[in-house]
Amino acid sequence: MKDIISLFFAYAKSGLKSRFQYKLDAIVVIFAVFLREAGGIIAMYLALLKFDTINNWNIDELLFLFSLIFITYGIFIVFFMALRDFSDWIKHGDFDRVMVRPRGLLTQLVLCGADWLAAFGHGTLGIILFIVSANKVGIQWDFGMAVYYVVIVISGVLIQGAVFLIFSAVSFYVVETNSLKEIFYWNMRKFAIYPLSIYHKFIQSILIFVVPFAFVNYFPAQFFLRKADMAAYPDWVMYISPIVGIVLYIIAYSFWKFSLRYYKSTGN
Amino acid sequence: MNTYIQFAVIKFRNKMAYRFDYLLGILNTLLSFVVYWSIYKALYDGASAVDGVTFSMVTTNFIISLGLSSAFSKNEMFLQDKIKQGTIANELLKPVNFKLRMLFEDIGEGAFSVVFNFLPTVVIAAFFAELSAPSSAVNIFLCLISVVLGYIVLWQISFIVQSWSFWLFSVWGLVTIKNVIINILAGAYIPMWFMPDWLKNAIRFTPFDSIYFTPVQLYLGELQGWEILINFARQILWIVILYGIGELCWRKGIKRLVVQGG
Amino acid sequence: MSETIIDVNNLCKTFKIHKRSSGFKGAVKNIFYPTYEYKKAVSNVSFHIKEGEMVGFIGPNGAGKSTTVKMLSGILYPDSGDITVAGYIPHKQRKEYVANIGVVFGQKSQISWDLSPLDSYEVIRHIYKIPENKYKENLERFTQLLDMSQFINQPVRQLSLGQRMRADIAAALLHSPKIVFFDEPTIGIDVVGKDKIRKFIKTLNQTDNITMIFTTHDMQDIEKTCERLIIIDDGQKLYDGSLENVKKGYVSSRIIEAEFESLPIQLDLQNAEVTDVDNNILKKIISFNADEVSVNEIMTELMNTHNIKDISIKEPEIDAIIRDIYEGKIVMR
Repeated sequence: MKDIISLFFAYAKSGLKSRFQYKLDAIVVIFAVFLREAGGIIAMYLALLKFDTINNWNIDELLFLFSLIFITYGIFIVFFMALRDFSDWIKHGDFDRVMVRPRGLLTQLVLCGADWLAAFGHGTLGIILFIVSANKVGIQWDFGMAVYYVVIVISGVLIQGAVFLIFSAVSFYVVETNSLKEIFYWNMRKFAIYPLSIYHKFIQSILIFVVPFAFVNYFPAQFFLRKADMAAYPDWVMYISPIVGIVLYIIAYSFWKFSLRYYKSTGN
Repeated sequence: MNTYIQFAVIKFRNKMAYRFDYLLGILNTLLSFVVYWSIYKALYDGASAVDGVTFSMVTTNFIISLGLSSAFSKNEMFLQDKIKQGTIANELLKPVNFKLRMLFEDIGEGAFSVVFNFLPTVVIAAFFAELSAPSSAVNIFLCLISVVLGYIVLWQISFIVQSWSFWLFSVWGLVTIKNVIINILAGAYIPMWFMPDWLKNAIRFTPFDSIYFTPVQLYLGELQGWEILINFARQILWIVILYGIGELCWRKGIKRLVVQGG
Repeated sequence: MSETIIDVNNLCKTFKIHKRSSGFKGAVKNIFYPTYEYKKAVSNVSFHIKEGEMVGFIGPNGAGKSTTVKMLSGILYPDSGDITVAGYIPHKQRKEYVANIGVVFGQKSQISWDLSPLDSYEVIRHIYKIPENKYKENLERFTQLLDMSQFINQPVRQLSLGQRMRADIAAALLHSPKIVFFDEPTIGIDVVGKDKIRKFIKTLNQTDNITMIFTTHDMQDIEKTCERLIIIDDGQKLYDGSLENVKKGYVSSRIIEAEFESLPIQLDLQNAEVTDVDNNILKKIISFNADEVSVNEIMTELMNTHNIKDISIKEPEIDAIIRDIYEGKIVMR
């Protein structure tokens, strides 16, 4: 474990150093990511000046909900960038290099690839949203609550990591998976930012059963907020995010393991 | 001129070759629309009108502004790549005006997007979303003209930001920031009607509302008589002003390129 | 004598290639009724390499040499056949095995573009868990041998291709591997740079007894470094033996280059083959086997029947020999 952590820091040090070669540019990029992600929130803030609430959620409660998607993505991208870009890794022959190094394949992929600029952009946004909203939404913060918050953040990271692990495994069969990611991750994420209950039942089912974003932010946020629209779902879904995260990750990991032998090394 | 139209036609044809990307593009545009349609459905919560704005006006606003914004998204790293790879020099030696060629290629791509991305999205959206009918055939015609003018405004802003790649290491950050600002202030993320008054008044002094909101208003028949002329005049005025700024940046950039030798 | 370290028997690898039909109908068909083509990349290849040997793998593009090296380094699963390297089965014991090998991909650097070689080495030290003193010792030694002290602290993007490759070779050796695979290590590098690399590789092979496998297009690489040569084409091993033998086997072949005074030329020589020269229609290359027909005979025949402007006898180059082997013109015994 100690060894793994020291490897992570070695990678992080070189990753940060290379990402911050052009400091001004790095800062502009971080700010751009921050603003791009905040765009929808700013629009929602302006809209609620007129409408006050959406499905009974006020702006603070919304910000609390938003914070989860951004904090989890900010952490996710520290560990899963290599999997996010995995088809490129295969195409450019980078995975060959990973295979000739005496460490676990996923260990290397997870530790080495951090998109630090995106992490800072999303992470800062998530943390700001959390700080602004956490004390205004009527949560009685105590040790237990804080622990559960950390647990659901980790679950949210795992769920998104599992989704990308599945995409990566698919890359072993068909190298190009960008459309798959576009449809099943990026487009679904657009929906996932806002309260699940505003959508048509069909979209809700996709976000619960197919790409389970609902367990990244909406259901766990409901554990803290208990809004009236939760009545449409059974209560226990507020508690199972960790299980969803772990089970999905195990499934994804098995699929990845199984698919590895089909790697064709099309690089160069 | 014929040459440049040819550039547009070639680009249009090239786009047709990638069918899967094309279907994916429609899906992207449609889903962006569905998100905002769902948000405003929940915000309206059954109300027929808010401040005199009906729900169908809101959906119409989103399908036009958000739909076009999504359909018009393109590779804005184009100029930077040309400059960083040093191929810009070769482009400049060719006997065509590079900037004009870029504009026409993008217009070709934009026309493709309107016909094959935007219109299908509208047709699909019409099945489930309450869209307003155009107020008259004349209004559709006026709306189309203002879409073209709005596109050129949008293009000029993009060109100005892209031209900064002569000076900067990368313009990706600035392009992204520019797009957020346009999407919010041009009404793609929030209808102009619901913005706070101070913001609305401020936007009147910028080119942003002439990109999507003028076409929306023309389509809905919200503009009458001389208001129509004023809005067209504003679009044209912004095209002229932005052209001037873009030309200035472009010339200074080229000069810098020549002096420093790429 | 030294022991066998690489043992390959009847190695086979076939790739399944998705055949794409074009057009919209084709795209639909691709999804529902995919058709495949099978390409034998490596078929029935066997060889044995002793510890400390330096072996050149050559073959044209797509011959299967890269696929073979990838199976040897644990990247690809073989379809059938056995591989044992240093007592490991590469694709089954990947993690333990690769600690013993170093791989240099000529087309794919392992050091970061924006960092200095030294920064990248630090990460490599952690990945391979190289002990501090061994790391320092190796680093010092390679910096000196590869003449890297000038640029070891500079960002890689500022280095020349040759410098980058030297830095890359050092990166692959920092953990003192027993076996090193070089995949096209001199590609695109200038003559001086190539020479430095070849000398270093040769020295290291001799002093450290490292087993080395070398794939390349460049015959010079092989001539300057390897004693043993394996030629692969179309997935099959065509030749396995000493470099000397290849040269010897061809020693009886002769080439005469002749420039004629005028056209048309009807060259009809027995026991010899006439080929054109690209840029000069008056020039011809006449190749023949000295065992079958003597140089004298050919010369006399030429002189008697044609007006010759210029004529010269050439030693066959190793490149030409290999080309002939690929094309099946000569069969190695």
